[in-house]
Amino acid sequence: MLPLSPNSRRSKRRFFAALLALFLAPVVHAQSQGQDSEAISPVPVFTMGTGFITTFEGGTPHLGPLVAPLILVPVGQKWLFETRGTIEADLAPPPGSDDFKGSAEKSVDYVQLDYIANRYLTVTAGRYLIPFGIYNERLYPIWIRNLQTDPLILPIGGSEYGAGTGAMVRGGFDLAPRVELNYAAYFSAHSSVSHMESDRSAGGRAGIFLPGPRIELGGSFQHLLQEDRTNSFGFHFEWQPPPVPLDIRAEYARSHDGSGYWIESAYRLSQSPVWQSALRHVQVVARMQQFYAGAGESDEMADVDTNQFEFGLNYYFRDDMRFVSSYGRQFSPDGNENIWTLGLTYRLALPLWPGGGK
Amino acid sequence: MTARRPMLLLALLLAASTLPLAGMAAGQGEANATNPPPAASARVQHEDDENARAEGERRFHANCGRCHQSPHKLPPRMMATIVRHMRVRATITDEDMRLILRYMTQ
Repeated sequence: MLPLSPNSRRSKRRFFAALLALFLAPVVHAQSQGQDSEAISPVPVFTMGTGFITTFEGGTPHLGPLVAPLILVPVGQKWLFETRGTIEADLAPPPGSDDFKGSAEKSVDYVQLDYIANRYLTVTAGRYLIPFGIYNERLYPIWIRNLQTDPLILPIGGSEYGAGTGAMVRGGFDLAPRVELNYAAYFSAHSSVSHMESDRSAGGRAGIFLPGPRIELGGSFQHLLQEDRTNSFGFHFEWQPPPVPLDIRAEYARSHDGSGYWIESAYRLSQSPVWQSALRHVQVVARMQQFYAGAGESDEMADVDTNQFEFGLNYYFRDDMRFVSSYGRQFSPDGNENIWTLGLTYRLALPLWPGGGK
Repeated sequence: MTARRPMLLLALLLAASTLPLAGMAAGQGEANATNPPPAASARVQHEDDENARAEGERRFHANCGRCHQSPHKLPPRMMATIVRHMRVRATITDEDMRLILRYMTQ
C-alpha cells in the first residue's frame, strides 16, 4: 500500500466524518422523533395551607391560626424531596379572664425522600405520615378537610404523633381494567428528637379503587413495637358517585385504647336549579361519629364513650380560598356540649425556580 | 486487491447509512399510502387530543376528587411537581399521573 500524502489523509478524514454524520443523522432524527413530547421538566414548588379557625367549645372561644408550609423539590425523573411543617396556636381565655392566652405549637409533619422505582413501587425514607386509614395522610390539611374538627378516632393507628421515622414502600397500579390497587407498608423507629417524635411500629394499608363508580375500599393495620406492643386495625370507604357532586367518606378503627367510626357526606350545590351562580360555591357537610373507650389510657383519645354529630356550611370563593363554618353537638358522660367553628382557609402555590411560573 | 478494500468499506458504510433512510422513506411511503390527506389527518389528530383530554379530565376528577375539590390549573412545570407529589401521597397510578398531567397542562 502506498503511503498517503498529508493532504489526501486530511481529505480522507473529512470524507469519513461526512459519512459518519450521514450515517448518524437518521438515528438522531429518529431518536428526536421518539422523545416524549409531553416531557415537562418539574420545578421546586412552595405551597402552603393556612387558615384562621375560631372554635367555640361549650361556650369557650378558641382562636386557632394555622400555617402549614410544604416544600416539594423534584430531582431528575424519579426523585422527590418533600417536607411539611405546621405552626398552630390555640388561644383561649383562662377561667375568670377575658384575655386570650396560649402558645404556638410547631411540628415537622414529614421530611421524606421518595424514589419512584417503577410503576409499581415507590420507596420513601425519612419522616413520613403514617398510612393508617385515609384521614391522616390525605384529608388532614386545613384546606382539604370539610369540617375543621378532627375525627375522634384520628389518633388510632397514627400512634401518638401521626408520623413515623424510617422507611416505607408504596404504590398504586392497575390490577385489572378499571380496578386499581394501592398499598403502603412501613417500619418506623422510635425517635425522641424534639418536634419529630415517633414510635417504634410497623404496619400498612391497602385499598382497591374502582375509577368507574369512584369507590375506594381499604384496610389498615399497625403493630406497636414498644410498650404494650398492641395492634390497631381499621377500614376506610370513599364514594364519589359520578353524576352528582357528592362525597361520602367513612372510617372505622379499633385499638387497645378505643374504637369507633365516622361517616361524612359533603354535597356541593353546583347542580342547584335555583340561584345557581351563587349556590354553586356552597358545600353542605354532615358527619356522624361514635367513639367507644377502650382499656388503655391514651391522652390523645377520649376516656369515655362519646357520640358527636356535626353540620357544616362552606363557601368557596375560589378553589383555594373558602369560608368554613360548622355546628356540632357532643354527647358524653362527662357532659354534653356544643361545638361551633368559623373560619377562613387558603392554599397558595409558588414556583421556587426561575421560569417555573411559565 | 489492497486498493479495492477501501472501496468495499466505503460501499458497506454507504449501504449502512442509507438503510435507516430507506427504512424511513419506506415507512413514510406506507404512511402516505395509508394515512388520510392532511385535512383528515388534522381531524384525526384533533379527535385524539380530544379523547386524551376527556380521559385526562375523567381521571382527574376520579382521582383528585377523592380527597379535595378540583384545583385550578397551575403553570406546567409546577403542575409536573404537584402531580408527582400526588403520585406518592395519593398512590395514584403511573398512567393516571401522565393523563392528569397532560390534561392539567393543556
